[in-house]
Amino acid sequence: MRKPLRLLAALFAAVLFALPGWSQNTRISGQVSTNTSGENLSGVSVRVKGTNLGTDTDSAGRFQLSVPSLPVTLVISSVGYETEEVRVASATSPVTIFLSTSNVIGQEVVVSASRTPQRILEAPVTIERVSTATIRNAPVSNYYDVVTNLKGVDAVVSSLTFRTPTTRGFSGSGNLRFNQIMDGMDNQAPGLNFSVGSVIGLTELDVESMELLPGATSALYGPGGMNGTLLINSKNPFRYTGLSYQVKTGVMHLDNKERDASPYYNFSLRWAQKVSEKFAYKFSGEYIRANDWLARDYRNYKRLGTTGEIVPGTRETDPNYDGVNVYGDETTIDLRSRVLNSIATAVPFLAGYISTMPESIPVSRTGYTENEVIDPKTINFKLSGSLNYKLGKDIEAVLAGYWGTGNTVYTGSQRYSLKDLKVGQYKLELNAKNWYVRGYTTQENAGESHNLTITTQLFNEAWKPSTTWYQQYAFAYLNAKQAGRPDLEAHNTARSVADQGRPVAGSAEFNRIFDSVRKVPIPQGGLFRDKSDLWMAEGQYNFSNIIRFADVMIGGNWKQYVLNSEGTLFADTKGSPIKINEIGAYIQVGKEIIPNVLRLTAAGRYDKNENFKGRFTPRLTAVVKPAQDHNIRLSFQTAYRFPSTQQQWIDLNVGTGRLLGANIALYEKYNLVDNPGYAPTPGRERVPYREAKPESVTSFEVGYKALFAKKLLVDVYAFRSAYNDFITRRDVEQFPNGQPGPVGTGAGFSLVANSPEEVITRGAGISVEYVLPRNFIASGSFTTDDISDVPDGFRAFFNAPNKRTVFGLSNTGFGPGNRFGANVSWRWQEGFFYENDFTQGDLPGFHTVDAAVNYKLPRIKSMFKLGASNLLNQYYRTAVGNPSIGGLYYLSFAYGVL
Amino acid sequence: MKINFHTFLKQFMLSAAIVGAMTACNKDVPDATPIEQQAPTTNVTIGDLVNTDASFSLLRTAINRVPGLLALLSDKESVYTVFAPDDAAFQRSGINAAVINALPVEQIAAIMQYHIVGGQKVTSTMITTNFPNVQLPTQLVLAPPSIPLPPGLRMPVFPSRRGNNGWINNIPLTAVDIQAANGVIHKVAAIIAPPQQVLWVRISTDPELDYLEAAIKRADQATPSPGLEAALKNPAASLTVFAPNDAAFQQVLTGQITLALMGMGVPAAQAQAQAQALASTPDVFTNPALAGVLTPTVVQGLVVYHLLGARTFSVNLPTTATAIPTLLNLGIQNHPGVTVQATFGPTGVTAATVKGAANQTASVVQINPTTAPGGTSDQHYVNGVLHVINQVLLPQ
Repeated sequence: MRKPLRLLAALFAAVLFALPGWSQNTRISGQVSTNTSGENLSGVSVRVKGTNLGTDTDSAGRFQLSVPSLPVTLVISSVGYETEEVRVASATSPVTIFLSTSNVIGQEVVVSASRTPQRILEAPVTIERVSTATIRNAPVSNYYDVVTNLKGVDAVVSSLTFRTPTTRGFSGSGNLRFNQIMDGMDNQAPGLNFSVGSVIGLTELDVESMELLPGATSALYGPGGMNGTLLINSKNPFRYTGLSYQVKTGVMHLDNKERDASPYYNFSLRWAQKVSEKFAYKFSGEYIRANDWLARDYRNYKRLGTTGEIVPGTRETDPNYDGVNVYGDETTIDLRSRVLNSIATAVPFLAGYISTMPESIPVSRTGYTENEVIDPKTINFKLSGSLNYKLGKDIEAVLAGYWGTGNTVYTGSQRYSLKDLKVGQYKLELNAKNWYVRGYTTQENAGESHNLTITTQLFNEAWKPSTTWYQQYAFAYLNAKQAGRPDLEAHNTARSVADQGRPVAGSAEFNRIFDSVRKVPIPQGGLFRDKSDLWMAEGQYNFSNIIRFADVMIGGNWKQYVLNSEGTLFADTKGSPIKINEIGAYIQVGKEIIPNVLRLTAAGRYDKNENFKGRFTPRLTAVVKPAQDHNIRLSFQTAYRFPSTQQQWIDLNVGTGRLLGANIALYEKYNLVDNPGYAPTPGRERVPYREAKPESVTSFEVGYKALFAKKLLVDVYAFRSAYNDFITRRDVEQFPNGQPGPVGTGAGFSLVANSPEEVITRGAGISVEYVLPRNFIASGSFTTDDISDVPDGFRAFFNAPNKRTVFGLSNTGFGPGNRFGANVSWRWQEGFFYENDFTQGDLPGFHTVDAAVNYKLPRIKSMFKLGASNLLNQYYRTAVGNPSIGGLYYLSFAYGVL
Repeated sequence: MKINFHTFLKQFMLSAAIVGAMTACNKDVPDATPIEQQAPTTNVTIGDLVNTDASFSLLRTAINRVPGLLALLSDKESVYTVFAPDDAAFQRSGINAAVINALPVEQIAAIMQYHIVGGQKVTSTMITTNFPNVQLPTQLVLAPPSIPLPPGLRMPVFPSRRGNNGWINNIPLTAVDIQAANGVIHKVAAIIAPPQQVLWVRISTDPELDYLEAAIKRADQATPSPGLEAALKNPAASLTVFAPNDAAFQQVLTGQITLALMGMGVPAAQAQAQAQALASTPDVFTNPALAGVLTPTVVQGLVVYHLLGARTFSVNLPTTATAIPTLLNLGIQNHPGVTVQATFGPTGVTAATVKGAANQTASVVQINPTTAPGGTSDQHYVNGVLHVINQVLLPQ
C-alpha cells in the first residue's frame, strides 16, 4: 500500500510542477488538514475573498492558486468544518491551514433547487441533500438506500438491487412521476420505464452528492418530475483524485427462514487521475453479489382483468387458487363450460350428472412459487468512467460512460426476472461557468429478461398442454365426485391426477423446459426483447454575466425515444422500431427584490411530444428571509408528464388481459375504436376511444426552514397538488357482438385513461436536526401524504403511507482521536392499500432500524464500518407482491475515502 | 478516553435497543388462509340415519351385508344422495329379510349401489321436469355384460318430477330431502332394480319382438355402421324403444303389402291372402319379392321412428297429448315426431299411448311394469327403456 501511495505523491508532484502557463501572476500553494488527527482534507473549497477566484484541494489536501497580487485573504470552507479565513502575504512558502471539525448544519450548498448554487437554507423549494460524508457514515448497506431515510421518501424494493425511491405518493417499481437524473442524464430506461439508478447508476465511491427535490419539478427538469426529482452527481476527476476501494462483505437471511443464510459481497473501486491541469480521467467499478430477498406472498389473488383483490384460499382449498407470488396458476378456465359441457355432449350418460353441477367451476393450473422459478442470485456489476478535458479557463469537456449489467427482479404489471439486463449511458458534455451543452444516449438491452408469469404459464403448456391437462382433470374430478368424494377432495384428486409427472422445480427436466420457454420471445415464450434507446441533446445558458438586473437562464432539449422490442413489449415490429420525438425549452428569471429579504424566481418550460399537444409549465417561487437563518419559501409549481413510452405503445398480453398503450394505432389494431369495451364496474358503461392527454399537476407549497443558534435546523412544509388528466389504467372487456356479456367472458384490455376529475393530493412534513454536544446529531422527521377525489373505477396507484417518520442519532466522532463514528436510524411507516398492475392489497405498516459503527484510520485514509440495515431482521415489504426484506449485516473496509 | 468511548458505545447500544424494542412487531407476509369449508348443519350422517330409523330395518340389513358400505355412508367427508327404500318398499318389492340374507353379496351390493348417487347432494328442487328426466350415475359400476363397457360407466338412475310428485326411474319417491351431514336421502316406494342387460338382448330374445329384430337387421343394411343393432347393444346409449309386438307388425305389413299388390293389379282377395302369407314370418323383411318395397332405407326410417334419444319411463310421459321428437328427427328435422300421453291413476301410470303421425289411432303401451320376460312397459335395460306397443308407428 505504501508504494503506490508514494507513487501517487510523486505523480501529483509532477503535476504540480507541470502547471500550465495560463495562470495569473502570483501562485500560492498550501495544504489543508484537520486540526485533530492531522489528516489531509480533499475537496475543500479555497476562495479568494472578494473575488470569484478559487479552487478545491486535491486528494492530498493540497491546493494551488494564482492571484493577481498579494496580499489576499483566503476563505477555506468545507462542510463539516468551521470555515477559516487566512491572510496570505507571501507566496514563497506553502500555506498550511488546519480546519476544526464542526457539526455545521444548514450550510450545505445545493444546486438543483434553482439550477444554480445556493445555500440549502435559502432554497426556494423543499430540498434534501446527501453528501459523501453522509454516505460514508450511513448505516445502510448501499448509498442508494440513504435516500430512503430522507424525509418524505418512500422506496419500493423489488429486489436487493432494485430500489425505487419517490416522494409525495405514487411509488412503484416503475415510477413514472419521479425523475432520476444522474450526472445530468435522465436514467429512466427508455423501454422498461423504470429508473435504473439502483441497478446501473454510479458506483458508491464515485457519488459526490445526491439532491432530492420532492414535488413538482418539471419547470426545471422536464416532463416526468411531477412528484420529485433525484439528482445524483459523481465526483469530478479533477477534484477527487487517487485510488479508493471498498470491500464490503455481509450476511443475509440470518434466520434461515426462506433461504439459507448467505453472504453478501459488494466490492468497489475508483481511480481518478489529474494528468495535467487540462486533463483528468477516472474510472470506477462495483460488483454486488448476494442471494436476493424472496417475494413469498402466497395469498390467493382473485383477478378481474388486470385488477383484483386478495381473498382467502390456498392451493388445497381453492381449485382456482392464484397465489400472488406463485406463477403459472394464472391460467384458469371454467371447467364447467369449457370442458365438462363438452364431456356431457360426448358422453351422454354423464350429461345429467354434469347438469346438476354449479354453472361455473373455475379451475387454475398448478403454479410454481417465485423461489422455484427464479435464480436466487442477484448480481450487479457497474462500470463507469470519464475523460475530462479543459478547453480553456472555463470550459470543461467531458466524455463519460456508465454501464451496468445484472440480474435482478422488477415488479411491473407482473414480476419480471431481469436477467443479464444491460444498460449503458454515454454522454459528451461541454461545461462552462455560464453554460453547458450535453448530448447523451441511454442504450438498453433487456438481455434474457423474462416475464415470470408468462414464462411459467407457458412452461406448464410446454410440459402438458392445458387441453390435455384440463381433460384429465375433468375426468378425474368426475370420477372422484361420482365415487362420493366431497367437492374439494375431488378437485384435489383431479389435480394430482392431471399433475402426474409434473416436473419438480430444479430438476433437470424442469430446467430444460423452463430454459426453452424463457428464451423464446413473447408471446410464444416469456422473453421480452427490449433494445430501446433514448437520445437526448440539451443545453443551458446563464446570462448572469450579461444581464445584471436579474438572474436569467435559458435552456432547451431535444429527445428521441427509439422503442425496439421486436413486438414483444411494444407494438413495433422487427426492424422497424417506434420513434417518439420530444422537444422542450425553459427560461428562468430570478431577482432579489429586497436585498437579503425577498427573492422571486419565475421559470417556465414548454415541451412538445410529437404524439401530444405541447405543454407550458410555469413555476413561481419566493423566498422570504425575515431574519438571518430564517427562510420562508413559497412556490407555485406546475409539472406534467406525457404518457410513458409504455403507456403510449405497450401491446402486451399478460395472460389475464392485454395491456394496451394509448396510441390510436393500437386501438385500431384491436378494433377498439369501432367496437369499444365495457367497464366491468361500475355500471358496465361503454368506454369509447379517447385521445390520451398528458397528465399535469399544479402544486402550491409553503415551507419554512430555520436554523436556531446554529444548532437546531427545522424544516416545515405543506403542499397541495391538483392532478388533472390523471393518467391511470382502466379495465374493459370487449365482446365480439358489441353487446356486453357477463363479466369475465369478453376479451380483457387494460387501457390508458385520463381521469375526468381532478385528483388532489396533500401533504405536510416537519424535520428537525439538532446538534448535540460531543459530535452527536439527533434528527427526526414526520411526513404525511394523502389523496382525495379519486373517482370510482379508477386506480390512482397513490401508494403512499399516510404517515411516516424517520428518527436518527448519529455521532461523527467519538472515542480515541474521535475516530469512531456511529449512526442509527429508525424508520416507520403506516400501512396502506397498495395498488399496482401486479397486485393490490393491504400493505401493513412497518418499522425498521439501521445502525452502523465506523472506525477511521486517517493516516491511510481508510475506514472500517460494521453495520446492519434492518438490524432486527424484522421482515417488511414495501409493496404487495414484492419481496420481504430482512436484515443485512455487513463489515466494510474502505480505502481512500477520507 | 477509553471510558468515554465505552460510554458512547453504551449510549448507542441503548438507543438501538430502545428503538429495537419498538420495532419488534413488523407483520411479515401473512400466510394464505384456507377457505373454511361450510360446516354441515347436522352431524347425523346417512349411515346414522339408516342405523337409527326404524323404518329402515330391511335397508340396514341389506347394507350390512355389503362390506364397507355402511362405513362409506357414515363418512362425514363424503357426499351422497341416497334413494332409500324403507321396509314398506322392500315389502312392496316382495323382499323380506330372508330374501336379503339369501341373495349373493354381489347381487345385494349391486342393488344397494344402484340406490346411491355419489358426489352430489341432489335435492328435490334440483329436479325440475318430468320429461326429459335427469341421468345421475350411481355407485353401481356394471360388470361388463356381453360387450365391454366404457371405463367408469356407472349405471345411472333417472329422477324426474311432476308437481309435487317425484320418481326415480318409474319408482315414486315417498319422502324427499331428508338432510344428513354427508348428503341427502329420498325415500322410494320400491326397490329400484338395476338393469343388467342391454336392450338388444330383450329384442333379440323376446318371441313377441321377432319382427322388430328382423326390421332392425334389415334397416342396418342401409347404414351398417354404426347400425341400430350396435346402438341397442351399446351400454353407453340411452334410448327409449316403443317396441311394436309381432302382431302389430303382421297387421301393418299385411295391409301395406295388400295395397302394394292391388296397386300392381292383383285382385283384392288374392292380394290380401298373398300379403298375409308374406307377412306371416319375420323373413318378410328379407323376402326378395319385397326388396323394392321394404328397402333398408324405408325400414330404417320406420324403425328409428320407434326410438327416442333419451330414456323415457311411463311416468315421464306428459298427461296431455304432446308431440316429441324421435330419432327420425335426426334425419328429418321438422318431422312432427310422435304424440305421447299418459294417464295417471292413484298408484302411477294406468294407461299410456303413443301415436305415429300417419296412424289413424294411437298405439297403446302394454302397461305391465313387472320384470322381464313378462313385463311389457318400463322395461329397464342398461342402455334404455322398452315399452311394448300394439301398433307400428307410421311416420308418414
